[in-house]
Amino acid sequence: MITRKTFLTANLAGLTAAVAGLAAPGILRAQTAVTLDVLFANPSFARFFTPIAEAFSRANPGIRIVFRQPAPNYDEQHQALLRGALTNQLPDVTFPGFNRLPELARTLAPRNQILDLAPLIAAEGAAWKDANFSPRMLALGQVGGTQFGMPFNASSPIAYYNPELVRRGGGDPDAFPNSWDGVVALGARIKAAVPTAMGVSYYINSFDSDWLWQALIQQGGGRMLGADGAVAFGGPAGQAAMVLARRFVAEGGMGLIGDEQNRQQFGTGGTGIIFDSPARLGVITGLVGGRFPLRTAPFPITDATNGGVPTGGNAAVILTRDAAKREAAWKYVKYSGGPEAQKVAVEMTGYLPTNLLAEGPDFLGPWYAANPNARSAAMQANRSLPWEDYGANGPRIHRSQQEVLTAVMRGDLAPPAGLARMVQETTAMMRG
Amino acid sequence: MNRAKALAGAAFAAPAFALMLALLIGPLLVLLVLSVTDYRLGALAVRFVGLGHYAALFEDAVFRRALQNTFLYVAFVLPGAVFGGLGIALLVHARTRTRSFYEIVYFLPVTSTLVAMATVWQFMLHPSLGPVSAAFAALGFAGIDLLNDPRLALGTIALIGLWQQIGFNMVLFLAGLSAIPRDLYEAAALDGAGGGADRFLRVTWPLLGPTTMFVTITSTIAAFKVFDTVAVLTKGGPLGSTETLLYVLYLEGFQYFRTGYAAAMTIVLLAFLIILSIIQARVIDRRVHYA
Amino acid sequence: MRRRGLLSALLSHAVLLAGAVLMAAPFLWMLLTSIRPPEEVFGAVFNLVPTRFAGIENYGAALSQSNLPRAMLNGAIVCLGILAVQLLFAIPAAYALAKLRFRGREWLFGLVLFGLCVPIQVPALPLYLGLAQAGLLDSFFALMAPFALTVFGMFLFRQFFRSYPDEVLDAARLDGMGEFEIVWRLATPAALPAIAAFSIFSIVAHWNDLYWPLIVVTSSGRSVPPLAMLAFRDTETGGNYGALMAAAALTTAPLIIGFFAARRAFLRGITMTGPR
Repeated sequence: MITRKTFLTANLAGLTAAVAGLAAPGILRAQTAVTLDVLFANPSFARFFTPIAEAFSRANPGIRIVFRQPAPNYDEQHQALLRGALTNQLPDVTFPGFNRLPELARTLAPRNQILDLAPLIAAEGAAWKDANFSPRMLALGQVGGTQFGMPFNASSPIAYYNPELVRRGGGDPDAFPNSWDGVVALGARIKAAVPTAMGVSYYINSFDSDWLWQALIQQGGGRMLGADGAVAFGGPAGQAAMVLARRFVAEGGMGLIGDEQNRQQFGTGGTGIIFDSPARLGVITGLVGGRFPLRTAPFPITDATNGGVPTGGNAAVILTRDAAKREAAWKYVKYSGGPEAQKVAVEMTGYLPTNLLAEGPDFLGPWYAANPNARSAAMQANRSLPWEDYGANGPRIHRSQQEVLTAVMRGDLAPPAGLARMVQETTAMMRG
Repeated sequence: MNRAKALAGAAFAAPAFALMLALLIGPLLVLLVLSVTDYRLGALAVRFVGLGHYAALFEDAVFRRALQNTFLYVAFVLPGAVFGGLGIALLVHARTRTRSFYEIVYFLPVTSTLVAMATVWQFMLHPSLGPVSAAFAALGFAGIDLLNDPRLALGTIALIGLWQQIGFNMVLFLAGLSAIPRDLYEAAALDGAGGGADRFLRVTWPLLGPTTMFVTITSTIAAFKVFDTVAVLTKGGPLGSTETLLYVLYLEGFQYFRTGYAAAMTIVLLAFLIILSIIQARVIDRRVHYA
Repeated sequence: MRRRGLLSALLSHAVLLAGAVLMAAPFLWMLLTSIRPPEEVFGAVFNLVPTRFAGIENYGAALSQSNLPRAMLNGAIVCLGILAVQLLFAIPAAYALAKLRFRGREWLFGLVLFGLCVPIQVPALPLYLGLAQAGLLDSFFALMAPFALTVFGMFLFRQFFRSYPDEVLDAARLDGMGEFEIVWRLATPAALPAIAAFSIFSIVAHWNDLYWPLIVVTSSGRSVPPLAMLAFRDTETGGNYGALMAAAALTTAPLIIGFFAARRAFLRGITMTGPR
């Protein structure tokens, strides 16, 4: 018999079930609530960005990472971001190159389009910060004292060489030259021994950023910009670097070809020595295949006191203004800077880990032991200098500098004249 | 009846006209306005600069170089595209059984996606690892780098452009040749026309007039628009020797955001295109009539 | 006489074949490399036949590691979408230009002729700014909208309609057909050859377009074949040319296959762009 009580209870049960049924997708939706739109540069970096994102999503089921079409290089990423800022198309998280981070922050901060990470780091506690990051590393992500970026990949240039060609050039594969004169001389001897090969190739004529050119100046004790922000590479360090650039071609047996072509030629045993980012260790090792036992060496630094190398790489920055997305983005950025993610990145590439814990025995210790080539970058960590930026016209300045360098290396322009022209053009473009 | 037809006509044409306003005339007007301001993408204030940009353009070494490169490119490609296309068409037209085969092979580059084929060319032209340099070396010309040598790069881009264009022109000329009535040749023979060259000059060439004009104009415009090969293969290098008008326009407008300046550059490009089309139409028209 | 004929035929073939080799060389090289294992990619000039068939791995890598499948789907959507809109706007306008007298007809035709000289790269900047203002960048709309107008189509169809017999139209009008019906029920089916030819022309042009997508597309979800090809090339960094050439083959395959299948229509399409 249906009493009032059973009638009410039944209806109540049904109603609860209905409400629960309506709420259930809502609950599910709350769980898969956040999608982060992420942009990075260098499409080949997908090989570590993707596994890191997948591991992160497994550990954080409510957050999905979707990657945009990767930018070909840091400069084009920078242009895409500036364009995106003006057309309301910024990604939620992006990884600008260290040399473009200051300009990006300067453009976005006034519009409140980039997040200051300092409060978020402070909220994690000082112990967390000290255990994971060195002050030097964190400084790479700071612009004018504000922590806009969390360093993700860091590197300084290294030498890659072919021990067989070095031996044929009369050099000792275990004692790579630590002076540029030595490098050029070795290149000349390799070219003499194997006329079809390139002795040494320092491809600033086609490299996708000015990183290697800055390296040449900074290692001689020079800087690109002075404390007053004016062009400062016109001095002796700049002169020496320009002369050296020409010497690679005139004496070191270098030919002027594209950057990818250079790596391919090195990989097939056609070049004795190249200089590149340790981030490309994985790619270059793959190109070499088993053709020869690839080896690396630290970057020769001429000025022992003031000389250094620019720190390449990128930092994670958060651009979204949505509170929920910011929370998710911080989790992702924190994870990317954490030991597990750094282990993945370093093993895939050869980058320096930005996380202190990552170097420990639980993470990269054994890997470094098994991969001595990766150690060259780590060995010069204490020589890291900032990768200097030229402000708004950075990419244009790089194009014009590269033209001057190509002309000097071809011999069309004498080094002093080339340097003067570069100083003049850079100064002019920095103004407008 | 005519009223109804006129109304219908206007109604049918109106949507297309609206599109023309939105997609052609409107943008051109905006360009004209932008070109006399100093607008940069995202700027909050805009100032009138008169013809300042146009003056700056002709002082700008990069623009002048791009102009020169583009003209060189067109000068290189155009004769090859037009006369090459004509020559191939004449040869193919005479074939009967192998005609389809040749039509297909010569037209393949036209349908292919240039970005993909440019990537193939990039591999083929690799200075040490590609077959082209290997072939050169075997012939005794070692050390030729077609894409990295500033003296050769533009020519190489032009050759690839020619490779892509020639089949298109061949097909146009084939159609033109097919349209020439046979009896004209017989009449010419009766008039005492001798061998092939004579028939060509007396009958073929004059009657191909409209086709030649069309081919020349489209080839010129296509050559002016060169972009894909530069973007894929050289990015304007080496030493800016392959920076063409469109590529510099792309950099200025979409990479450096100097919108006002880029607008002025676009107007100049358009002016060149229109002038060239008019000149060619006039010149060839006159020659066709007198021939 | 016959010997001269043979000699000239031989010379003809020699020249044509030499040219054909140059035309086809990149395609052959692309296909050959796409089935080659990575260790044999370089230095392959002298060993034309690969020792190991690596086609499956290369094409597999091209399909799985690149954005090509998605990009090709997008390409199809964009091309067909553009074509549909183009036909919708151009056919009635062309009919009106050819067959109906209305005020401003000559002006409109003049605009069409003018538009023929204006490539998409000219209005690109203002169109980009406009789309940015409207927040419509990186969308199918942005990819398709600028091409809705086809002055070329209007020109082509007008030429065709001009030669369409007026008597048929007059008879239809006497039968009571309105102009709208005439356009879509009578004129359009008759113009099918021109429409087919134009369609091929339009699809080829927009499948292969790099400039406009390069500017408006930022996300991977809206990529189109030329962009995916470029992205994959940047990813490959020379590590796997076999896969890169496989990707190139896949990118250009749909059109080439279409060309083989509908060769007559392709060639007629191009021919119809020519003068009459």
